[in-house]
Amino acid sequence: MSAEDKTTRVKAVIVPCSGIGKTYGTVSREAAYEITEDLRPEETRLAPLSMLVMGDEATRAAVTNHPAVAIDGCKLACASKMVQESGGTVAVELAVLDVYRRHRQFKPQGIAELNDAGYQLAHALAEEVVALIDEMTIDE
Amino acid sequence: MPQLPQKKVGIVACSGEEMAEGTVTRLAALKLLEELRPNDTVTICLPLFLAGGEGDRAFARFYPTIAIDGCELRCAARATEQFSGKPAAEIVVTDLVAEQGLTRPQGLRRLDAAGKQAVDITAQRAAVLVDELLEKRWSRRAGQFMEEEAPAPTGNGAGAGCACGGGIPVQKVVVNGREEVLIALPAILDQFRAANKPNTPDTVRELLEMVKIYNPIPAEEEEAYLAVLSQLVE
Repeated sequence: MSAEDKTTRVKAVIVPCSGIGKTYGTVSREAAYEITEDLRPEETRLAPLSMLVMGDEATRAAVTNHPAVAIDGCKLACASKMVQESGGTVAVELAVLDVYRRHRQFKPQGIAELNDAGYQLAHALAEEVVALIDEMTIDE
Repeated sequence: MPQLPQKKVGIVACSGEEMAEGTVTRLAALKLLEELRPNDTVTICLPLFLAGGEGDRAFARFYPTIAIDGCELRCAARATEQFSGKPAAEIVVTDLVAEQGLTRPQGLRRLDAAGKQAVDITAQRAAVLVDELLEKRWSRRAGQFMEEEAPAPTGNGAGAGCACGGGIPVQKVVVNGREEVLIALPAILDQFRAANKPNTPDTVRELLEMVKIYNPIPAEEEEAYLAVLSQLVE
């Protein structure tokens, strides 16, 4: 995220799990892409966990200057923990498993490529996040 | 020997979500873990070096590790070295793509043909490195390759794939007022308990010798370690 974001309408930074080995990680990432590329591209930015791990200044600034939406793929909650570790505030914390419990008709499968239900679950998750972001106001 | 994960090669991918090359690293790691070398590889999510426990941070000392990075920032390699141990090998996708004269990958969510080709060559390069690393002898005590020592111990493997939440068995002890993390100590103690070993000086010395297989213990501190370990033997 660039410094100019402070002057735009960015409301929230989306921090997905960067999990490799489990389907819920893929769901979290797909939801994050849907939010930042399709649903609210002007109002959200993606923050990669690897950049937070390395203390990248621009990425740390992004999570400290904006409310963060952490989407975790498992109970280890890396996304939430890394936002806090980076000095940011987790405004919204969502676990894919919890969203799945609300949408049991969408059983995700696949890691490299999600099944249809996985994409539907990611979409449901993205819609939940967007509804919460729409309620946020921008600090001027 | 305690039942510890058998020798495998650790894979750490940057998984950078903001660039197509990050997606390449993730998919290449998966291809390696699931198709090319499923029995010889294990992975861990990069953030667990900070968000996880001591067992997660012991990952690159326990396994010779290949860092797969999407770009020159080398987040996976640097984070692995900073928080766990120096990677045994590195791959940078942008370098590999340039080296092979390929088109730059596009598509964060859905890789284009160039991206899929990059996944294939990255995974194949990693597989070659896995084979090379498995032929060398790895010291879990030093977290580096060794020249002339016995082969690494083998046991009931943890299974190829994601090591998140599993980690390496470690235990913290306080020696001479310092906190030390001892790799494999929980598994060694389990083995001693199962064998009903009595708490005698010989048993504690035997325990120390086992601990030394996996951890560097300075000779001048052996007495202090013996005192600590004697409290752990039931």
